Amino acid sequence: MALTKKSKFEDQYIDPVGKSVPRIEGRGIVTGQLKYVFDVQMANMLVGKMLRSPHAHARIISIDTSKAEALPGVKAIVTAKDTHQIKFGSNEYFFPHTVDQMALEADKVRYIGDEVAAVAAIDEETADEALRLIDVKYEILPGVFEIEEAIKPGAPQIHESLNNIALILPVNFGNPERLMKEADHVREDKFWCPVAHPSPMEPHVCVGQWETFTNKITLWSSSQAPFKCREALAKTLKMDLNDVRVIKMAVGGGFGGKLEMLPMDFAACLLSKKAGGLPVKISLTREEEFTTTRRKHGMIYKIKTGVKKDGTILAMTGEVLADGGAYCSYGPTVLAAAMMRIFMVYKLQHFRMTGYRVYTNNPISGAMRGFGGVQSGFAVESHMDMIAKDLGMDAVEFRLKNITGPNMTTVNKMILTTNGLRECIEKAVIASGWKEKRGKQKAIKRGIGIGIAADVMGSKMYKSHESAGAIVKVEEDGSVYLFTGAADTGQGSNTALSQIAAHALGVSFSRIKCKSGDTEITPFDTGSFASRVTFISGNAALLGGRDAKLQVLEIVAKDNDLNIDDLDIKAEKVIYKKDGRVLMSFDKALELCYSFKYGKQIIGRGSYNPKTTPIDFRSGEGNVSGSYGFEAQIAEVEVDTDTGIVKVLQLWDAHDIGKAINPQSVEGQIEGSLAMGIGYTFYEDLRFKNGRVLNANFAGYRVPRSIGLPKMNSILVETDELEGPFGAKGMGEAALLPTAAAIANAVEDAIGVRIKELPITPDKIIKALKEQKA
Amino acid sequence: MNVNLTINKKQHTLNLKGNETLLEVLRDHLSLTGTKTACQETECGTCTVMIKGKAVLSCITLAANIQGEEITTIEGLAQGDVLHPVQQAFIDYGSVQCGFCIPGMIMSSVALLEKNPKPTQEEIEYALDGNICRCAGYPKIFEAIHEAGKNIVSKGSIASKS
Repeated sequence: MALTKKSKFEDQYIDPVGKSVPRIEGRGIVTGQLKYVFDVQMANMLVGKMLRSPHAHARIISIDTSKAEALPGVKAIVTAKDTHQIKFGSNEYFFPHTVDQMALEADKVRYIGDEVAAVAAIDEETADEALRLIDVKYEILPGVFEIEEAIKPGAPQIHESLNNIALILPVNFGNPERLMKEADHVREDKFWCPVAHPSPMEPHVCVGQWETFTNKITLWSSSQAPFKCREALAKTLKMDLNDVRVIKMAVGGGFGGKLEMLPMDFAACLLSKKAGGLPVKISLTREEEFTTTRRKHGMIYKIKTGVKKDGTILAMTGEVLADGGAYCSYGPTVLAAAMMRIFMVYKLQHFRMTGYRVYTNNPISGAMRGFGGVQSGFAVESHMDMIAKDLGMDAVEFRLKNITGPNMTTVNKMILTTNGLRECIEKAVIASGWKEKRGKQKAIKRGIGIGIAADVMGSKMYKSHESAGAIVKVEEDGSVYLFTGAADTGQGSNTALSQIAAHALGVSFSRIKCKSGDTEITPFDTGSFASRVTFISGNAALLGGRDAKLQVLEIVAKDNDLNIDDLDIKAEKVIYKKDGRVLMSFDKALELCYSFKYGKQIIGRGSYNPKTTPIDFRSGEGNVSGSYGFEAQIAEVEVDTDTGIVKVLQLWDAHDIGKAINPQSVEGQIEGSLAMGIGYTFYEDLRFKNGRVLNANFAGYRVPRSIGLPKMNSILVETDELEGPFGAKGMGEAALLPTAAAIANAVEDAIGVRIKELPITPDKIIKALKEQKA
Repeated sequence: MNVNLTINKKQHTLNLKGNETLLEVLRDHLSLTGTKTACQETECGTCTVMIKGKAVLSCITLAANIQGEEITTIEGLAQGDVLHPVQQAFIDYGSVQCGFCIPGMIMSSVALLEKNPKPTQEEIEYALDGNICRCAGYPKIFEAIHEAGKNIVSKGSIASKS
């Protein structure tokens, strides 16, 4: 068995796991050649537009489309009459009554922007003119816009639910009332967590095509969850899953906002059908993006904690009121997550919290990066700091006394195996110089603050299973194709999953190409959310790579009369394990597989379903995730007490990521999260008046820009998760969770004032300083 | 009306109404979809191209007003297979995530470095203030620009790192 000459794949990307390999789409991105749905151009493609309610709350009396239909260039108009009027929603498995939105509303509109009709025309001007010509008669109803107003008896009724409460979610463990009485100190606080907006750079866009003769639908969608999108389309259009194909192209960011389908996705398909099968493209404007796509829930977060003198937390109670807006969306599970994340972070046995998801005539609240955890992160971590201060304890010491650890089952039956929270705190404390700085820089109005958090790696709150699949196809020329259902929305999952598959197969990353998120071609995957992709889809890629490897080895073993168990493929070579001898190159082994003699196609497959139990929402119990990630974040700030301006000097984020598949990508996720966290802390605040968004553009809704961001320090803590692919955990959201609290805690350390309502604006600082003096 | 545009060193004669923006012409008439837009109202920088070496927002530039001027888009930076140093640095430093803002980000960076190959951190931050990136949080974009600048200086002119 002579060695063949060195393969072109014996490069620096052998054994790619743990290496910062460049993004698989890198060249496409930097040359402008990568195609997003936004870039799709097709022959005879029509321009679609949505007709939206100008009223926050109104009954639809009639819709007359005759004038618009008569306009030359208009090819199709659809209203609720053209739909099956089947409702869609995102928590139908656990909370079926919260499935409450229709593709096009038939009887009532519930917020400014609610979709009542859609048009398709030959160009944008014609489509706009057609929208103007549709005559909708409304009976305007009184609206309600504040959480605490909406739940009052007699408030305008938005849906059927009593007092506009879509859902009451109690979480009860132990006997907190008794323990509160035993506590040496009890503290109660109330926080306001404002409405942020995901605002990905690519606004929502889709192209729908309904092949009228074969009755098949194709939707090109900028989606985080193409398979969920297919499911919702099939259900509401009464089609079989396999008659609906959803294709995700490159996605220009999602951050939770593209997790669900929107009425525009249905409308594009329905319009195409009416237009005889011509493709219809609907692109939202930035204003529509801000006003009619999912936003973060605004939350009133009330929390009360009883502690012993030594800092041990005895009991916690609270109440969360979430402004849900007009429909439920992912609201029920966001609410659950906002209350239950705390069990991953702190040892709690006695806990009672009740969540209320409240309908208002505001735009629809849904998923956004952090999924309830940004709100609870701010409230809980601010509250913890204040308790430590009350007790005269150091904020770090207080946390270390109460945090969870490895191999621990929480009160609600989450099974924490690897848990690097303590190590994260210790590393962040050392890196930031906490001990030298905390409480010691008041003279120069500088302060330092900490926040800690934990996150799931997927969540079985949504569906009966949460599996991911992968196919690893090895071609005759040695190139490898990874097919994954996972939706890369920019985080780099195509790259990370390819690294995992290549490593598992024993070959260089350079061999790999990745096709993701096409429901007709790739295996099923629930989508990009809950920081699940590296962990769950990564495990599928791992199994797929291993399976392909075994198929190659089977042929090598057969041809050489060897036992397959004695063989392995490592770093591009087939190895005889007993003595480490190189038997042949991977290329040579493939030649054998694809030889006249064997003609064996190598198609590896992987399917992975995490070892979890669904949450029982009556008890609050369930091991929702197959693994949990942890982090500690420290912020150092300087406050100008004349202007009220807070400058963040540095941020440290120590993160238990199990194992960094691609350290550069992990840092990218941390830095992006920290920037978003800074935005939420200081200025990301979608504002409303009577249901109308007041700042629906990037001038009014500021997002982080290049000027003045602090130095960001990422500290990767590798705990080697047994269940993770090569030890990895997920990394999409956690670094955003404690940022606001870490900063608010640092402000308190610097100037002694506490901001409990985000965003932290100069005028709030000035006002607080005045009150402090008084 | 006939409008003559020089885009990426290539001449185009287009029959236009006259009210088309450069962005529309690039994307809809010439299928140069590398130039994106995220707001169409000058706030995001995603549509940035270079005109006579300056970073310009194509969403508010009338195509008919820039006849004969040298227009460079993201498609015009690489020389054959060889990427522009800024493009290469954006890959090497992991500066790209979703990538939607990146063409505009790169055009602003190239315009800066062509004038000032050794910008300070502050100069970079100010040059990119008009370009929003929602994914990456900027540090890796800054690193790439510093690095690309070094490359440009060392060769005396825009030349690719081999």
